[in-house]
Amino acid sequence: MKYRVRHVTTYTYAQPVDLASHMLHLWPRVLPGQAVLSAAVSATPMPSRHSEAADHFGNRVGWMFLDAPHETFQVTVDARVEVGFPAPPSAADTPPWEEVAAQARAGGAGAWQAAEFAFDSPMAPADPGARDFAARSFPPGRPILAGLLDLTGRIWRDFTFRPGVTTIHTPIARVLAQRAGVCQDFTHLMLSGLRSLGLPSRYVSGYLRTRPPPGGAARRGADQSHAWVGAWLGARHGWVDLDPTNNIVVRDEHVVLAWGRDYGDISPIRGVLLGGGAHTVAVGVDLEPI
Amino acid sequence: MSGVEARDEMVDGHGGLRPHWRGILSAFAALGEGGLAERALRLDRAFAEEGVSSLLPGASSEEHAWRCDPVPLPIQAGEFAELEAGLAQRATLLEAILDDLYDGQQLLADGALPPALVFANPGWLRVGDLGGNKLQFYAADLIRAPDGVWHVLADRTAAGGGIGYARENRRLLARVLPETFRPMPVRPLRPFFEFWQDGLRRLAPGGAANPTVALLTPGTAHRQWFEHMYLSRELSCALVEGGDLTVRGGEVFIKTLKGLQQVDVLLRRIDGRMIDPLELEAGSLIGVPGLIDVARAGRVHITNDPGSGAVEAPALAAFLPDLCRRLLGEELRLPSVPTLWLGEAAALSRVLAGPDGWNLRPATDGNADALSPAAMAPESRAALLARIRARPWEWAASAPVEPSVAPCLMPDGLQPRPVVVRLFLSFDGTGWRAMPGGLARVLGSAREGAPGRGGIAKDVWVLSEERGDAVGLPLLPQPRLALRRTTGDLPSRVADNLFWLGRYVERLERAARLVRAAITRLSRAQALLPPELSELDALGRCLAEAGVIADDAATAAATRLMAGALLTSVRPGATGPEGTTDGGAIHALFVTIARLTENVRDRLTGDMYATFTQTLRAARGDATSAGRSLDGLAHAMVSIMRFSTAVAGVAAENMVRGGGFLFLDLGRRVERAQAVATEVGFALDQPPAHVETGLRLALELCDSAITYRNRYLNVLQPAPVLDLVLADQGNPRGLAFQLVAMHGLLDELGGESGVREMLAGAAAGLLAEVEALVAEVLAAPDQAVSASALPPLLAGVAGGIADLSNRITRRYFALLPAVQTVGLTSEVAELKGAA
Repeated sequence: MKYRVRHVTTYTYAQPVDLASHMLHLWPRVLPGQAVLSAAVSATPMPSRHSEAADHFGNRVGWMFLDAPHETFQVTVDARVEVGFPAPPSAADTPPWEEVAAQARAGGAGAWQAAEFAFDSPMAPADPGARDFAARSFPPGRPILAGLLDLTGRIWRDFTFRPGVTTIHTPIARVLAQRAGVCQDFTHLMLSGLRSLGLPSRYVSGYLRTRPPPGGAARRGADQSHAWVGAWLGARHGWVDLDPTNNIVVRDEHVVLAWGRDYGDISPIRGVLLGGGAHTVAVGVDLEPI
Repeated sequence: MSGVEARDEMVDGHGGLRPHWRGILSAFAALGEGGLAERALRLDRAFAEEGVSSLLPGASSEEHAWRCDPVPLPIQAGEFAELEAGLAQRATLLEAILDDLYDGQQLLADGALPPALVFANPGWLRVGDLGGNKLQFYAADLIRAPDGVWHVLADRTAAGGGIGYARENRRLLARVLPETFRPMPVRPLRPFFEFWQDGLRRLAPGGAANPTVALLTPGTAHRQWFEHMYLSRELSCALVEGGDLTVRGGEVFIKTLKGLQQVDVLLRRIDGRMIDPLELEAGSLIGVPGLIDVARAGRVHITNDPGSGAVEAPALAAFLPDLCRRLLGEELRLPSVPTLWLGEAAALSRVLAGPDGWNLRPATDGNADALSPAAMAPESRAALLARIRARPWEWAASAPVEPSVAPCLMPDGLQPRPVVVRLFLSFDGTGWRAMPGGLARVLGSAREGAPGRGGIAKDVWVLSEERGDAVGLPLLPQPRLALRRTTGDLPSRVADNLFWLGRYVERLERAARLVRAAITRLSRAQALLPPELSELDALGRCLAEAGVIADDAATAAATRLMAGALLTSVRPGATGPEGTTDGGAIHALFVTIARLTENVRDRLTGDMYATFTQTLRAARGDATSAGRSLDGLAHAMVSIMRFSTAVAGVAAENMVRGGGFLFLDLGRRVERAQAVATEVGFALDQPPAHVETGLRLALELCDSAITYRNRYLNVLQPAPVLDLVLADQGNPRGLAFQLVAMHGLLDELGGESGVREMLAGAAAGLLAEVEALVAEVLAAPDQAVSASALPPLLAGVAGGIADLSNRITRRYFALLPAVQTVGLTSEVAELKGAA
């Protein structure tokens, strides 16, 4: 499936910003199941310095420095991407979840990189509620993917997608209590639960196609940056991406930007400003098939 | 190993004195009965005078009290050489581990290190490899076991504080107890600092010939602020806070008065996680946004590397022997205290089988205190063990090793006390070298303590084989320095602080003069004559204007209220049942001046700092003990004036003209000019018939009564009085003198010529205005009427001075708008749907 991505973020400041430094995670990631045909990130006003590199997780990251006073800052992403992630293995063929946790704990060849995602992180800390919630999907000996699919479905059924009731700092316990939130909340909740069982899982950011294919189901969280969970199935099967907001395995309706331990590692636009006063931000995302 | 008797550093197992202690003990014996205790007192006093325990509120509390024991801890040459070789190997090993962890992670891929020690390690930063050496400085805490073997208790790779204290201990001990050094071949510390400094200069990107090295400190609130300041002097580098630095065009600069000055090497003394709010801890206000990007591009070298703290993880000790063989192909020369990482099943069951025989520490936090299950209450012990069972990989266990004891001077004489020794090493690009000395700490009930947290320290003496130990080191040739006399490289923040220090010292002095003048009248409140009442009224208005007392206490009709308000003005705030009350205005000035003094401390010589703080402390003490006595309060005001005079004198005699002194003096002149214009205005605010009262008060407030009498005897007339207090450029207490001085200082400051001339011109304009006012009074047919009309005009002059002060502030002390972060804060996104 080929898509055209357009993602526009506009910051508007109450007072001029004298000096601004931004770190951007906005380039679609090149992956075996995702070809990036073109990708351009542009900013207005023009930064006085712009550099790019791969971050710790292998994502493409950019830095933009502005040292002239400005009252708005707009970043536009224009990209064309072809996606087609392979179908996951049959759940019954995947190893028991305890074995996957043991591999991650031991580290070493084949497992050490995945092990990084088995530990708590600042925005997906350990939470007893999340642990108990996740544990119900993982009775002893259950194949890892069977447990993951069950957990994904339970989050989708038990939680209401409701923008505005949470912020990115809403604790997981609160999300659990109100049984509502947005994609980030569901992702952090699932990560916290899986990691409490010792299972490596990562935060994936990206986009979801804006309009469903003809006859397809309407998706939630499509008009903004989206987030879902990457989960490790053990050294043999590697990673699979699961979208708890929509209860689907990621195949060809998602475009991957970046992954990290949680939102904090790969926030799309992060910045430190000198001045500016109050600010507002407007985000528009469009993912159309071409 | 516990249960074995501790080794005694001074006495061998047979009760005999170890030979290298002989010299020290015979020197002590020569001091005679009570001699050592007397020297210990002098040593305490020397530390107090040097201000090692700081003047800042909180910093001088018990927690930070720092004492140096007069008995040093000597280490023999051969033994030290072994320690140095062992620590050099350890530093090399830790560097090799860091190199792997930040590039490639082969140790993880091969299973030589468990993932938990890296990925769950808060000291391991996800910023990639910044290149270059990760470590240039390394410190280790060591204890000596009963069998005589030194063991490393902790590795310090992030900052490794304490070296400044070690050097200060040596300096003061040598001053107070010179006799003990004479019979002993003690190796000097200074050459190590030259070695260290040389190594820092070699780190400059691109081998810059005359690199700028800056020490990055969190600021005066940090408990090791003293050490940061001390090190910046010893290493001849700039002392900067995050706010002093700015990233432009991919490089990092210090903001100075003259403009931006590029930095090549940053000696990091802030937590690596806090160093860049853009890439690391988003809320950090002590870091520099974009700094990591500059370091990654190789345009500045940060040392030690921001991520160097990763190898401080206590659990790493369990892996070091294997890692040493693997990475260096050698056996580890210097053992750690026996350590287990509980993420290994065998280690966990061993520790859970007998937890009371172990000390437990978080696996990756080298700064957390060890917990001893044996010493815990049953409930907390059970809770700890439950936490360990739930997440065993987060814990390390170490076997308790009985530290050796060394003699310490206690109230009942020399007593053996357990000690831990911190040694310091530096790397010059080819090899590691240890400072021949160190910081020993006497362990109290707690097993460990950190430098800066107080306690008793000991100077560590490394003895050389022979006297006259070689000092010469191969140093990087220093290029010839260009002569510099400008004021330009003063950081803007420092200039700002000096300017305000000048203003606040003067403000405090003005307040003291006013309070004293008011007390003189209040203390005979029953017998005040009408002219005195109107003087008291004018004084009340001056005091209210200066913020010392409230308006309702500012009239002569309310003498008791005024007296009470004056007594309250020096009181600190109190927390009572009705909440917290603010301290009085004069108390607030004390606090502000103490803070500003601390902020500019690195610009003051030791003597100046001591003079500032001792006289200020004396004045505060007198103010506190005034209680409800107006007489006591008057005495305190005299102490304040003595403080102010001491500051002026010591600054005038000791500070190099230009730079800092200019701003200190400018602040003082601005404040005094504004005060004279305001106060003379209030004094003259009388009906023409009573102008004489106002004139007398004006002379008193400007300390000019005697000069006037010498010139004009007892005849009081408006024009001569106003000439003396307003227009006479030779009267240092008058207005014209201040304006002339301001003009000169502003002209000297430099900067782009247009701005400079405008500011200096404004001072000259004010002077002309004042001269014209006085000339008008002189020419008036009735001087009294003309003088009575002056108050609004003088208020205008005071306003002009305030305006000039604002313009100086804007020009020289770049007002920084607030810093904020976006992208990780709660943003309410306005969703527009598809764009």
